[in-house]
Amino acid sequence: MQTSKPTIVLVDDSIAMRAFFEQVAEEADLDFHAYESAEESLRFLNTRQPNLLFLNIIMPNKDGFTFLKELRAHELHFDTPTVMISSKDYAQDRTEAKELGVLEFVAKPISKKAIRSLIDKYVGTGNADV
Amino acid sequence: MSNSYLRFWGVRGSYAAPHKSHLNVGGNTSCVEIRSDDTLLVCDGGTGIISLGEQLMHDEELSEMMVLFTHYHWDHICGLPFFQPAFSPDWKIKFFGPGESSGDIEKRLSDQMKAPYFPVETETWMAKIDYLEPDVNGLSHGPIKISYHNVHHPGLTYGYRFQVGGKSVVYVSDNEVHFLKTSIAKRIHEFEQDEHELLERMVSEQRNSEVSAIEGVDILIHDAQYTPHDYDSKRGWGHSCYVDTVNLAIDAGVKCLYLYHHDPTYDDDQVAAIHQDSLQIIRERGSDMECHIGCEGLKVDL
Repeated sequence: MQTSKPTIVLVDDSIAMRAFFEQVAEEADLDFHAYESAEESLRFLNTRQPNLLFLNIIMPNKDGFTFLKELRAHELHFDTPTVMISSKDYAQDRTEAKELGVLEFVAKPISKKAIRSLIDKYVGTGNADV
Repeated sequence: MSNSYLRFWGVRGSYAAPHKSHLNVGGNTSCVEIRSDDTLLVCDGGTGIISLGEQLMHDEELSEMMVLFTHYHWDHICGLPFFQPAFSPDWKIKFFGPGESSGDIEKRLSDQMKAPYFPVETETWMAKIDYLEPDVNGLSHGPIKISYHNVHHPGLTYGYRFQVGGKSVVYVSDNEVHFLKTSIAKRIHEFEQDEHELLERMVSEQRNSEVSAIEGVDILIHDAQYTPHDYDSKRGWGHSCYVDTVNLAIDAGVKCLYLYHHDPTYDDDQVAAIHQDSLQIIRERGSDMECHIGCEGLKVDL
């Protein structure tokens, strides 16, 4: 079913990180979907393009970079707006993210306020001032 | 009973340190040989792989090997252009490392041998070369079972776990442990009080992830590059302080730890001091974990 709410997808194996986003999603009017792995997220991403994708790097099995390269080759996702989030905060990773067309690279930890700001910045309804 | 062992051919991180004051520990960069009878596995192709290659050219029993790369920073690949078996038609070599595909791995390894950086390209290799496709279910080489996982280092970097000769061995040459924990500590003021519980859970998740990758292994070879003093100014360079490495290994129930990827500026005395302090930490924590310095030439029976 189509929805007029902005669609946000998070792919992160961290339960705590997903909880941060879920709390933001409860407060804002978002169509939010969280997945713990790249493989699991394909249930959504194989058929739909979110308004904004948040993607972690270090995950079991497929890492975020490898996954994003695969997504960029997918007709639905060659331009999917993506924010990379990671406990890594290295220049090399920022460069690789940029080469994959990532909007922004954000180092963890990320506060709820920062999550709202990112959604507001790139989608417009994260209720950044809530 | 199988004849299985590992041998350190290169133990330095970042760049080679062939100084007289460093040679008890060794000056070559990352390379570890793992043998199980006539099966040969090599971890990383730093300058240590050059001497290994020279020895292999005199080994009439072997003609095949697998070489695994944790990543493609110079100190892990710069011995490969001088690796004699690659230039010999008598050898079959399988290469594996981070990458989306076998072609990706080939490109990353061969680019360093292109002009003007090297006089001959990988097309001059006469060995039968295979670049392996990634497989999240792991690899095998003869009797050696291999799995790999992502670690905390710039770019995509793997740690490897082996089951060989009845022993479990984990090789993590480059890894900055505790990074998220210290990031949270530095930035805690950005968070509301009601977020602190989730932050604690994040720290716990990362710790559990780091522990599970090495839990209970017989032998752990792990990045222990910096002293606490040097780590203060080099946090975010992708390497661990040895104190954090030792504590992580104890927490994970590792049986024997080899401190590895030594800083090239540390001479033999400085590395010996790191070892003594590591032993002190182990005693103070009441652990029975063995701890050694990964030294060039050291052979460990498995």
